[in-house]
Amino acid sequence: MLFDTTDFNYEISLFQIPGSDFSLEQRVDRFYSPEEGFLRGNMIRDEFDSYKKYTYFKLKPETEKEQMLFQLMAYSFAINDLNLFLDMHPEDRSVYDLFKQYVNDKNELESMYVKRFGPMTVTETNGANYNWISNPWPWDKMGGSKYV
Amino acid sequence: MFKYVKHLNYPVNIRKKDLKMAKYLLTQFGGANGELGAAMRYFSQKFSMPDEKGKALLNDIATEELGHCEMICSMVHQLVKDATVEEMEANGLGSMFTEHGKGVYPSDSFGNPFTVTYFAVTGDVLADISEDMAAEEKARAIYENLINMTTDEDVIGVLLFLRQREVVHFNRFKELYDYYKKKGY
Repeated sequence: MLFDTTDFNYEISLFQIPGSDFSLEQRVDRFYSPEEGFLRGNMIRDEFDSYKKYTYFKLKPETEKEQMLFQLMAYSFAINDLNLFLDMHPEDRSVYDLFKQYVNDKNELESMYVKRFGPMTVTETNGANYNWISNPWPWDKMGGSKYV
Repeated sequence: MFKYVKHLNYPVNIRKKDLKMAKYLLTQFGGANGELGAAMRYFSQKFSMPDEKGKALLNDIATEELGHCEMICSMVHQLVKDATVEEMEANGLGSMFTEHGKGVYPSDSFGNPFTVTYFAVTGDVLADISEDMAAEEKARAIYENLINMTTDEDVIGVLLFLRQREVVHFNRFKELYDYYKKKGY
């Protein structure tokens, strides 16, 4: 079953970032991890508002590329949600520290991804050939090689 | 200024063709309670926000909503992509095909084109932000209607994510409303 109220099995710990610690202890308790927050659609635990029988959709990355991409997307999402929170609570130092940690993690993830699979932003286009235009684009339906 | 990042806000991978659902989903792009209206509403209103919190929050939520437009359009595109003209006509998309082919045109589920009259800009902080709160609740309600229109988990997973974003945005706007109210606006 794709929807489950208790289980969380989004395993994306394949890529450890050098010098970075993903341990739960470093997180502020009132937030989900980037991976879980990404699936649920919010980082602040108290804000999760389930609908009917549903909680969240388990993503099942099928390739290493997809796994790296989902992890990158999860950190981008975490940054975005903390960004909105900090807009209203800029004085919250612990959340700002968490934000900065995730920005560092995301930058590491992005540079690893870009090196192997191509640019995420146009200024990351620096290979032998101009591959910014390369398919797939995010909205493409590409059978097995979906998403990007 | 805006910079494009070459991934969606949340993955969209619809494997099954569903033309009726595409027609319904389109309203969250170009309908009265859709993401395009949301993005343009907050984008337009940010210019009259009186301090840093309001400027930042409306700017940043507007930006996120543009990403949600892209997600909805990706869903519509993927649901329709492999359909024949006959299938489109049989599923209520004949007129849409006539006008737009398989292009994704901002309209509601009836085919009414997007209009800026879906949102207001009053220049009044409390009036604008209370509209924003209502907009988030209305979009949440439409996402729930859409979730009830399908059994495809590829679609429901994405809709649950987008619905939860409406909940979070409402909370931020509510904080901003209370903050300005307290400041005496």
